[in-house]
Amino acid sequence: MPSPDSVALKGVTLTYGRKVHALDGIDLAIEPGEFVAIVGPSGCGKSTLLRLVAGFARPTGGEVRVGGEPVAGPGPDRGMVFQQPRLFPWLSVRRNVAFGIRRHPGRDARVAELLDLVGLADAARLRPYELSGGMQQRAAIARALAPDPGILLMDEPFAALDALTRERLQEELRRIWQQTGKTVLFVTHSVDEAVFLGTRVLVMSKRPGRIVLDLPHQPDLRETVSTAVRQAAV
Amino acid sequence: MRAVALRLGGVLALLGIWWAVAAAQIWPPVFVPTPAAVWEQLLKTSVTGYSGYSLADHLLVSLGRILLGSLYGIAAGIVVGLALGLVPAFRAVFGPLVTFVRTLPPLAYFSLLIIWLGIDEPPKIALLFVAAMPPVAVATAEAVRGVHEDYLNAARSLGVSPWGLPFLVVLPSALPEVLVGVRVAVGVAYTTVVAAETVNGVPGIGGMIRDAQRYNQTDVVVMGLLVIGASGLAIDLLLIRLQRLLVPWRGKA
Ligand SMILES: Nc1ncnc2c1ncn2[C@@H]1O[C@H](COP(=O)(O)OP(=O)(O)OP(=O)(O)O)[C@@H](O)[C@H]1O
Ligand SMILES: [Mg+2]
Repeated sequence: MPSPDSVALKGVTLTYGRKVHALDGIDLAIEPGEFVAIVGPSGCGKSTLLRLVAGFARPTGGEVRVGGEPVAGPGPDRGMVFQQPRLFPWLSVRRNVAFGIRRHPGRDARVAELLDLVGLADAARLRPYELSGGMQQRAAIARALAPDPGILLMDEPFAALDALTRERLQEELRRIWQQTGKTVLFVTHSVDEAVFLGTRVLVMSKRPGRIVLDLPHQPDLRETVSTAVRQAAV
Repeated sequence: MRAVALRLGGVLALLGIWWAVAAAQIWPPVFVPTPAAVWEQLLKTSVTGYSGYSLADHLLVSLGRILLGSLYGIAAGIVVGLALGLVPAFRAVFGPLVTFVRTLPPLAYFSLLIIWLGIDEPPKIALLFVAAMPPVAVATAEAVRGVHEDYLNAARSLGVSPWGLPFLVVLPSALPEVLVGVRVAVGVAYTTVVAAETVNGVPGIGGMIRDAQRYNQTDVVVMGLLVIGASGLAIDLLLIRLQRLLVPWRGKA
């Protein structure tokens, strides 16, 4: 039996309409607890890859499996953090975080714990529009963590933030990952970010997206990845 | 302060023009009554009434009709709008029907409603309902279709079932536009109430105006128009308040 937190893609292709080949023949096996950072040029299919694992879309070819089972749709076993925070504007921060555990018995304690984890305990009563961009993104992370998903999917979550906030959130994310041991798929444009966070770094080629480099964390990784990204872009 | 001064200035200027036109006596008072005559009518109707009902009675009855018709219209509009926005088959069948009803002038189908429902309250409420429903339905349908898929996907990832999505995500996301639809709908109900009260409309502001028109009591007609307009303005201000209260994030998220 594969662990419920494993992800496997076999020969996955995805074509939008007739002509846009976003992904072409992706083979990928991710073990539980891995922090997989995915880099690649704009439009190469990184978001598409996450959407497939999340179950928001189905591949046109091949198979996506999570925990050994084919993905049939989204579920609380996979938490998603979008590039925009996408908090529900009609709910307070607290209720946003509680959204995925609305009916759980220990809800309030869990929400308090999560808000502490992302440093938003004082902002619990505020509405999302009253938060800064970085605070919103942290709330979005807390919301995704609430149902305790084994797998965390993050689509350039820090791209829109200033350098200082980004560094702080990277540290926080690493801490959270170390504390919880979740499987993380993390899409980014930044080679530095990928190398800093990832225990494993994937580089994708431009459309149709394929995986052109797949390396575990190691010395000199930054150089190798930079070179691969530069080549993938042409 | 400035805004208040501006508004007050505008009203005073209009009153001034009105007074000047009436005082010049280009047209007889049956066409253009003086502000003083209308003001007197306002006082008289408030105290002794018109056709056996005080001004407050007329106004309250009309407001009650507007409220009831709008409430039914809003409730139905939200349901129909949700269905139009969410169910393509429903949209294909009923979308054109809603547009059809929306383009009909209320008086056109009022005769039909009278044949069906008699001359008392039911046809009036029904008319206001039919008039108020489409703006809410259209606004809701558009808003529903405009909900960003990320919100729906986020909710699905957080364990919301397909049946839960309309209530937990779609409607709240659509709320700002729905409330705009509500404001339009109440406005339409307002403009329709006079038509609704053309038949057996006393008590009612529209009925009063209609009645006064028959006896060339132009000052009463003008007074009725002003009362309708002023109360409509007040209600719209209330609705704007409600909007701020219910969707404080509007324009910020
Ligand atoms: N809904 C869609 N319909 C049609 N084409 C789409 C759709 N979504 C994405 N695409 C196309 O698929 C390709 C991959 O898109 P995707 O969003 O996965 O890229 P990405 O790697 O995430 O890019 P970026 O780094 O800019 O976010 C792009 O060329 C895009 O134009
Ligand atoms: Mg993307």
